[in-house]
Amino acid sequence: MKILFRQITIETKLFLRRKDDLFWTLVFPMFFMVLYGVIYGNQVWADYGMRAIDYLFPGAIVMALMVTGIMATAGGFAEEREKGIYRRLSLTPLKRSTLIIGQIFHRYLVIVIQTLLLLLVGILAFKIKIEGNYFLFWLILTFGALCFLCVGFSLTGLIRSARSATPICMSVFFIMMFLGSIFIPITVMPGFLKVVSNALPSTHLGDALRLVVIKGASINEIWKDLLIVVGWTLSCLAIAIKFFRWE
Amino acid sequence: MDTMVKVSNLVKRYGNLIAVDNVSLAIEKGEIFGLLGPNGAGKTTLVEMIEGLRKPDGGSIEICGIDGLKEPAKIKEIIGVQLQSTTLYDKIRVKEAIDLFGAYYRRSISSEDILKEVSLVEKRNSYVGTLSGGLKQRLALALALVNDPKVLFLDEPTTGLDPQARRNVWDIIENMKRRGKTIILTTHYMEEAEQLCHRVGIMDQGKIIAMDSPKNLIVNSGLESTVEFHSMPQESDKILQILAGIGKIIRQDNDRFVLYTKEAPRVLQEITRVCGESGINLKNLTVREATLEDVFLSLTGKKLRE
Repeated sequence: MKILFRQITIETKLFLRRKDDLFWTLVFPMFFMVLYGVIYGNQVWADYGMRAIDYLFPGAIVMALMVTGIMATAGGFAEEREKGIYRRLSLTPLKRSTLIIGQIFHRYLVIVIQTLLLLLVGILAFKIKIEGNYFLFWLILTFGALCFLCVGFSLTGLIRSARSATPICMSVFFIMMFLGSIFIPITVMPGFLKVVSNALPSTHLGDALRLVVIKGASINEIWKDLLIVVGWTLSCLAIAIKFFRWE
Repeated sequence: MDTMVKVSNLVKRYGNLIAVDNVSLAIEKGEIFGLLGPNGAGKTTLVEMIEGLRKPDGGSIEICGIDGLKEPAKIKEIIGVQLQSTTLYDKIRVKEAIDLFGAYYRRSISSEDILKEVSLVEKRNSYVGTLSGGLKQRLALALALVNDPKVLFLDEPTTGLDPQARRNVWDIIENMKRRGKTIILTTHYMEEAEQLCHRVGIMDQGKIIAMDSPKNLIVNSGLESTVEFHSMPQESDKILQILAGIGKIIRQDNDRFVLYTKEAPRVLQEITRVCGESGINLKNLTVREATLEDVFLSLTGKKLRE
C-alpha cells in the first residue's frame, strides 16, 4: 500500500515535470474549448441545435480523456519500455501489478484535474451549467477514463518501438476525435460515416455527457451509451492482456 | 569460506545457437569474480540467468542457499544488479531515484550514504536525463547498492566510458572489494579483470574455458615475457653475438631487438651485464609480461575486442 502510494506520487511528479505532457493534457483540450467559446460566443449553431460551446464542452472532456488514456498511456509506456526501465524494475521486489495499478491511479488523477480545470473555465468564462446529476457526470467520466486507459494499454501491445508509438497513437486519437462527434455532430455526417461514428466510444461518451450536462438526463437515458463504452473497455482489456509486453 | 553463488550445468539455447553451454561456477564470500570474453561469448546471458532476468533451459542456480529458479522473489531482496545499459526516467532526480529504489526493498541503506559511496553527492538534485555517461553509470551502481546486497552483479560497468570515468568506477569497485562485498562482473577489458578480480573465468562460445586468478592464468599459460631494446646501428652485429651466447630466440629489424623468454629477470641481468662489460649502449629497454589478453589469444585464437 505504501509502495503503491509512492508509485502514484513519483508518476505524478514526473508528469508535472514534463512540459510536453502538460501541454497535451492540460493546454490542448482547453485551447479548443476556449477557441469555440471565443469564436461563437452565445450564438446557437443550427447544426448543433445548441450553443457551440455547450456542444464542445463535453467534447473537450472526452478529448482530455483520450489524450491521457491513449497518448500519454500508450506513448509513455512504449518509451519507458524501450528505455528498459521496466526491465530494470523487474530486478527489484516491486510487483508488476503495483506498477500498473500505480500508473492507472496516476492517470485517473490527471483526468480528474483536467476535468476540474475545464469545468472551472467553462463555468466562469462561458456560463456552462450542469443541469444533471454531478454523480452521474463523475460516473461517465470514470467509465470513460477506464475505457481509454484500456485502449491505451491495448495499443502498447501492438506498438513495436517508441518511434512508431506517436503515429499509431495519433491516428487512433484523430479518428476518435473527428469521427467521434467531438467537433462534428453525428447528425451532419453522411450515412457510412454515421456507422463508423456510432461504433466509437468517444461518440457515446460525448453523447452521454451532453445529455447529462445540457438536458439533465437520468441514468435511463444514458445506460445504452455506457454499455457500448463498457464493451470497448472489455474488448481492449482482452487485447491488452493477450498482447502485453514488458520488454 | 561460504559459497555465495553456486551455478550448476547452466544451459541456454536460442534456436540452434547454444548461448551458454553447461556452465558450472562457485563463488565464495568476498570474492570478486570476473567473466572475461569477447562480445557474444555468452557473458551477459549467463549473468542475466543468475540474476533471474532470463530463464535457463537447464541447470540450477543457488544464491546464499536459496534456489534461484524456485524463489526468485527472495533472490531479488539480496542481490544488486547493474545492467549493461540502465536508463531511467529523464526527469527523476538522482536522490529521488535512489530513494525510490530503496523503498522497494524490505531493507535499504540511506540514500545519503550511497551518494557518498558513489561520489554523487553534488549531483543529488540533478535530473537523471542531464547526467553524463560516467555519472549515469555511477547512478546505476548506486541503484544496485540500495539494498546492501549480499551479491552484486556488474555487467560491463565501464564499457563506453572515457579513461577518467573508468578510473572513478574502478575506485568505487575497489572500495567495495576492500569491504568484502561479493561481486560478479563481466568485462571485455583485460586491465579491468586484472586489476579488480580475485578470479577470472575466460568465456568463449558459451563455455568457461579457463578459470583462475589473473596471475595464475598468465603463469600457467606458459606464455613468455617480451624483452625489447634498441641499439646503435653499428653495434648490431656485436649484440647478435652476445645474444647468441644467452641462447634465446631473436627477432631483429635493423637496430631493434625483440626476444621472448620465460626467465625475463635472468635474461635481463645477463644482457645488461655483458653489454656493460663491452661498453655497448642499449636504448629503450622494456620488458612486457604476458597479459590476460595474450592468454586469451593463445586459448581461443581470438582477440578480446574485435
